[in-house]
Amino acid sequence: MTIPGPAEVKACCAAAYSGDAVALLLGESYHPGGLPLTRRLAAALDLRPGQRVIDVASGPGATARLLAAEYAVTVDGVELGEPAVQRARVAAAEAGLSGRVRFHRGDAERLPLPDAVADAVVCECALCTFPGKQAAAAEFARVLRPGGRAGITDVTVTDGGLPEELITLNAWVACIAGARPAPQYAELLAAAGLRVIREERHDDAIARMIGQIEGRVRLLRMTAAGRLAAAGIDTSAVLRYTALARQAVADGLIGYRLLVAEKTLVP
Amino acid sequence: MAGMPVRAPGPGRSPAVGRRDRDEVFLEYTKSICPVCKVVVDAQVNIRGDKVYLRKRCAEHGWFEALVYGDAQAYLASARFNKPGTIPLAFQTEVRDGCPSDCGLCPEHKQHACLGIIEVNTGCNLDCPVCFADSGHQPDGYAITRAQCERMLDAFVAAEGEPEVVMFSGGEPTIHKYIVEFIDLAQSRPIRTVTVNTNGIRLATDKSFAAALGERNRPGKAVTIYLQFDGLTESTHRAVRGTDLREIKQRALDACAAAGLTVTLVAAIERGVNEHEIGDIIEFGLAHPAVRSVSFQPVTHSGRHPQFDPLTRLTNSDVIELIAAQRPGWFVKDDFFPVPCCFPACRSVTYLLTEGTAGQPGFGVLPVPRLLQVEDYLDYVSNRVVPDYAVREALEKLWSASAVLGTGTTEEQLRAAAEALDCADACGVNLPEAIANLTDRAFMIVVQDFQDPYTLNVRQLMKCCVEEITPDGRLIPFCAYNSVGYREQVREQMSGVPVADVVPNAAPLQPLLVTSPYGSKIAGNGTGRPGGRHRYGPPAATR
Repeated sequence: MTIPGPAEVKACCAAAYSGDAVALLLGESYHPGGLPLTRRLAAALDLRPGQRVIDVASGPGATARLLAAEYAVTVDGVELGEPAVQRARVAAAEAGLSGRVRFHRGDAERLPLPDAVADAVVCECALCTFPGKQAAAAEFARVLRPGGRAGITDVTVTDGGLPEELITLNAWVACIAGARPAPQYAELLAAAGLRVIREERHDDAIARMIGQIEGRVRLLRMTAAGRLAAAGIDTSAVLRYTALARQAVADGLIGYRLLVAEKTLVP
Repeated sequence: MAGMPVRAPGPGRSPAVGRRDRDEVFLEYTKSICPVCKVVVDAQVNIRGDKVYLRKRCAEHGWFEALVYGDAQAYLASARFNKPGTIPLAFQTEVRDGCPSDCGLCPEHKQHACLGIIEVNTGCNLDCPVCFADSGHQPDGYAITRAQCERMLDAFVAAEGEPEVVMFSGGEPTIHKYIVEFIDLAQSRPIRTVTVNTNGIRLATDKSFAAALGERNRPGKAVTIYLQFDGLTESTHRAVRGTDLREIKQRALDACAAAGLTVTLVAAIERGVNEHEIGDIIEFGLAHPAVRSVSFQPVTHSGRHPQFDPLTRLTNSDVIELIAAQRPGWFVKDDFFPVPCCFPACRSVTYLLTEGTAGQPGFGVLPVPRLLQVEDYLDYVSNRVVPDYAVREALEKLWSASAVLGTGTTEEQLRAAAEALDCADACGVNLPEAIANLTDRAFMIVVQDFQDPYTLNVRQLMKCCVEEITPDGRLIPFCAYNSVGYREQVREQMSGVPVADVVPNAAPLQPLLVTSPYGSKIAGNGTGRPGGRHRYGPPAATR
């Protein structure tokens, strides 16, 4: 089995999330835990009105809008997929938030923002998809001011790894194949100068997301079987993957973590 | 003093020397009524052993306690699904003595009427052992006139403008000789949907009746059927209805299918009677072409019912757990969400899309909440940002007491919610036209625990959106009507025959109870006799 190369994976993920059939399966800006987990993350970041937050892999911008509206912060969303950036800008304008929410097309491993400008960085269910995880963590640290916090939610896997069927390109877009054991995320962040101050398990969130993907695949099978086939989606194959993934969650092989890390004052 | 201490309040179970912790979490302080004399009393809601109980004390009749929610976590989580109410166009009464004595609706009521009920009679062609309305073959009672029906409809229209749903109930409404004219009266007003709540006997035996209803079911003016359907076994039929109606139900459903009428199966569920049939009822409903929804209602311990234990009664969370346990391949309990228009602990709903043909290999159900995060839209406490307000609006109308499948309004909203799942511009997989056919595959499951004199909590009552319309033109929350004494009051006024306050046939109350002329239980010592109800004030006839 060939493991795809980093560039291929990154392009694939960005394309998937920015608006093809996989976006439909995952839903508008969906990530495990949904808005409730975003709020939990925001609370752990201790956001104050007027602070500046960078949302890495901001998708169509739902988290950015939520943070701006509910926590009165300004948000810079960075997203690799151009269509998602466009959608995010439109949605922010419609919500009357253009003044406080900006979106940039950019790569998580080379954030298009200056050093030490952010009070907080959020990155939801995306670090696992970045081939250059250490480079991305270093970028989080670079843009944070000393004492600033990074809030990460992400997929975890056990040290023993995953069933082989899940380690394919198809599975990359579901964040699974690039996921790391939980301690490795903490190590990545620590190596970048970000000290983990909080860690929570939210495994039920990923179980629910898998259920949602299954539900959407079944909905498509009911309503648009022909078009699905034309778009190259094999529903039974997708449902096979989701069943494997669901079992892996039940077996404790796949989980979901929330981590908050603080940029040390003295690098 | 009746002396029926359910449990002594206060600390500790043992004579220990030191201080001891209570065995429960005190959650709410509220008001309720004494189930015996109906006087308004203070009440408290407590969590004990992961279950939610309401406890109260009447100075004369002592302590009472009832289970109100079987899953404390679910009860607490439901609190967020609470939509700000809508103010009706007109109130019928004034605030004088406070809830629940001023019905209604009084200006302190927190919600408009999603559903208005008109009981056209007290007579029935059955004498069911379970009947919250205490109806049957009875020498007294009443049937409303056309003029009264018009007045009731007009009161509803005055309060709502364009009401979504009026339900004709009883008694058995189909034996009222003017029932079809009543439907015409409703349809001549700006009321979108008429629902007939029936045992199905007339539908099964009078083809012209089903046809007459079918003719009146037309686009924008739906007529739908709310059919009592408690199970599929003879023992259930005998226990709940007193007779085996299985053949009648089948014929009624077939007549509805032939007449193009959409049916909700309504199952009264009681512990030890038919709780094992919940999954079977869903499966039966999915397979019958006329049935588009099933409503499960723990037996309401108002009116007439067999003896029950208030501490182990069925609640919404129990029914949802039974659904998940009896059809594990189809449902998990998280597929159900509280309805935010009423008080969220009162009603939970899910919608399904069906795949394939019921009974055939490959048949499956897909609960709609698995397609989107319902709480991102219907959690009114946390959400200051909603991903898409059109989706919220669609979900609000689906998760509502006025949602009736088989009506244009509800199917439009289902379509709107489904369309929101489309990824609009980008993806090359677009759903809209396919979704136009999707609503035919939609199915609704409702779980509704009505309050009784034991469980009544004015906190829930004040936001009730299901109202009984009285002949004198009031709109009284359904559970107040059945629990507080309004039903008895209206029957007495309409029939001219004194009617005693009904007392729940609860195990701890047995020493107090005697049987009323209608088969329900009343206090044997004269408590709750008609003269005792003056505290609820005069009817609104003079207003």
